Amino acid sequence: MREVTATILENKSIAEEIYSLTFACEEKIPVRAGQFCMIGVGAHPLRRPIAVCKAEGDRITVCYRLKGEGTRSLASDYKAGEKLSVLLPLGNGFSLKKEQKKIAVVGGGVGIFPLISAIREFSDREIYAYMGFRNKGAICMEYEMLRAKKLTVCTDDGSAGFRGTSVQALKEELFKVAPDAILACGPVPMLRALKGVVAGTGIPTYVSLEERMGCGIGACLVCTCGKADGSRARVCKDGPVFEIGEVVL
Amino acid sequence: MADLRVTLCGKELKNPVIPASGTFGFGREFDKLYDISVLGGVCTKGLTLAPRAGNPVPRIAESRGVILNAVGLQNPGVDRFIAEDLQWLKQKTRVFANVAGSTVEDYAEICARLDGKVDFIELNISCPNVKCGGMAFGIRPETIRQVTEAAKGSLKRTPLVVKLSPNVESIAANAQAAEAGGADCLSLVNTFTGMAIDVERRKPIIANNTGGVSGAGIKPIAVRMVYEAAHAVDIPVIGMGGIVCAEDAIEFLLAGATAVQVGTQNFTDTFACPKIIEGLNDWCDRHGVKTVSELTGALTLN
Repeated sequence: MREVTATILENKSIAEEIYSLTFACEEKIPVRAGQFCMIGVGAHPLRRPIAVCKAEGDRITVCYRLKGEGTRSLASDYKAGEKLSVLLPLGNGFSLKKEQKKIAVVGGGVGIFPLISAIREFSDREIYAYMGFRNKGAICMEYEMLRAKKLTVCTDDGSAGFRGTSVQALKEELFKVAPDAILACGPVPMLRALKGVVAGTGIPTYVSLEERMGCGIGACLVCTCGKADGSRARVCKDGPVFEIGEVVL
Repeated sequence: MADLRVTLCGKELKNPVIPASGTFGFGREFDKLYDISVLGGVCTKGLTLAPRAGNPVPRIAESRGVILNAVGLQNPGVDRFIAEDLQWLKQKTRVFANVAGSTVEDYAEICARLDGKVDFIELNISCPNVKCGGMAFGIRPETIRQVTEAAKGSLKRTPLVVKLSPNVESIAANAQAAEAGGADCLSLVNTFTGMAIDVERRKPIIANNTGGVSGAGIKPIAVRMVYEAAHAVDIPVIGMGGIVCAEDAIEFLLAGATAVQVGTQNFTDTFACPKIIEGLNDWCDRHGVKTVSELTGALTLN
C-alpha cells in the first residue's frame, strides 16, 4: 500500500456513462486481482474507491461509472498528462487455490471490471465468464473478457447475448460447467441471487463488495459489512472479497 | 528548526498535531504508510465498555467542502484495546483514549480501567450518532459537569480532556461547566449534526439519516468556538474542525489552542498530519517564531 502521484495516460468513455482511466505510477506496483485504489478528485474531501481493472507494471487501468459529482469531475476535469493522487493497492483481492482450475466469474454492472483483473491474473485456469450489462450499448472491454475459455455476455433487455442476468446465465450451465470456484462482483441483489444459486452446491464462491468508504485503509470503520457470525468486517481492509457465506448480503 | 514541542497538562508532546478520534483507528493502518511516531499524539477511536457494532451502512456521505459520518461508535471495547493495541501505540507516541458511555457510571468505569495506562483520556460527550449517551451528556452545562465529575472521580493519574459538542447554546458556558467538573483540558469541536439527501431516492444518504459534519467547510465556526471556549476557561484547549494545512492549525493556535487535532483531512490526504507538522515548522521558520507554543492565544482582535 502506498500513495503515488500518477500521470494520466488516457481517460476516455468506453460505453454509455462508463469511463476507462489509465495512469502511470512512479514505479511498478504489484496489484492482485480484485484489489482497488482510492483516487483523489479535485476539492472533494473523500477519495473515490475504484477497483483495478488492469495492472501492467507501472500502468494501472480503472473503469468507473458516472454516478455523482466526483466521478463526473474525474471524467471531465482530468486529461492525459495531468497528475492524480492515488492510494493503492488496497484490500485483499481474489485468491484461488492451485487445485481450483475451473473458475466461473460472474459480473454485473461495474462489477465486471475487477473480474477482468481476475480473468487476466488467472489466465492459466479454465475460465467461464458470465458478464451482465444493461443493454448492447453498455457492453465494453469484450476483448479482455474473451481471454476466458468461454464468455457469455448477458443483457437485461436481450439486445445482445443471453437475455437476463449473469447469475441466470450461470444457473443454466452450473452443473454442466461444474466450476471449482466462483468469483463474483456486482450489485447486492445480483449477489443475493447468486447466493441462492450456489446454496448447497459446495462450490467455493467469493464475492467482491462495494461500499461508501472513508479512509480506504481500515482505520475509520465507515465501510463495514455484517458477517454471518454477527461481527462486522471492514470492506476496505478485510475485503472487499469475502466468501459468500461469510457475509450478510 | 522551530521548537514544535508543546506541554499539555504537564506532559510534553513532540508537536501539537494529533489525528482526531475516529479517523485514525488505533494508528496501525496509518503506520503502514508513515511512522506515526512523528505525531504529537494519537487520539483513538471512541472506546466503550462493551464492544459495539455501530450503525447500519452507508455511514458516510460527502457535501461541498465537508463530509458527514455516522459510524455509531463501532469499536472492540476498552478491554480489547488495552490488551491488543495500547502497548504498541504507547511506544509510538502520546495516547489519547477517546471514551464514550451510555450512562455516567459507564464513563466512570471506562476511565477507571484506563487510568494510569494512557497519557490522556478524551471524554466523548459529543458523539451525535448514538441514540443514548454521547451527545445527550454534552449539550447542557449541568450534565457536562456531572459526567466530568464522575470521570474525574475515577482518574488518579491520567489527565482528563473533555471533548465538547458544537451543537449547543453556549460553548463558553459548556466549557466552564467542564472546567468546574474537574476537566484538565478541553477539546473542540466535535462534528455538527447534519443531513445530506439523495434527491433521486428522496432519502438521506446516510442510513442513520443524520450524521456529524466535518471537514474544511466547518473551520471558521470551529475557530470561533475554540476562541470563545479558550477565553472562558483557564485550562488548555485542543482545537479542531476542518484543519487541512499548517496555516489552518495556526489559526486554532492563535485562537487559543495549545494543540490541534486533524480528522477528515486524513481521508483526503493520508499524509495530512506529517505534512502539517512539517508545514508548522516551515511557517515558524519563515516568521521568526522560535517555539510554536508562542502562538497559543497570540491573536489580536480588530
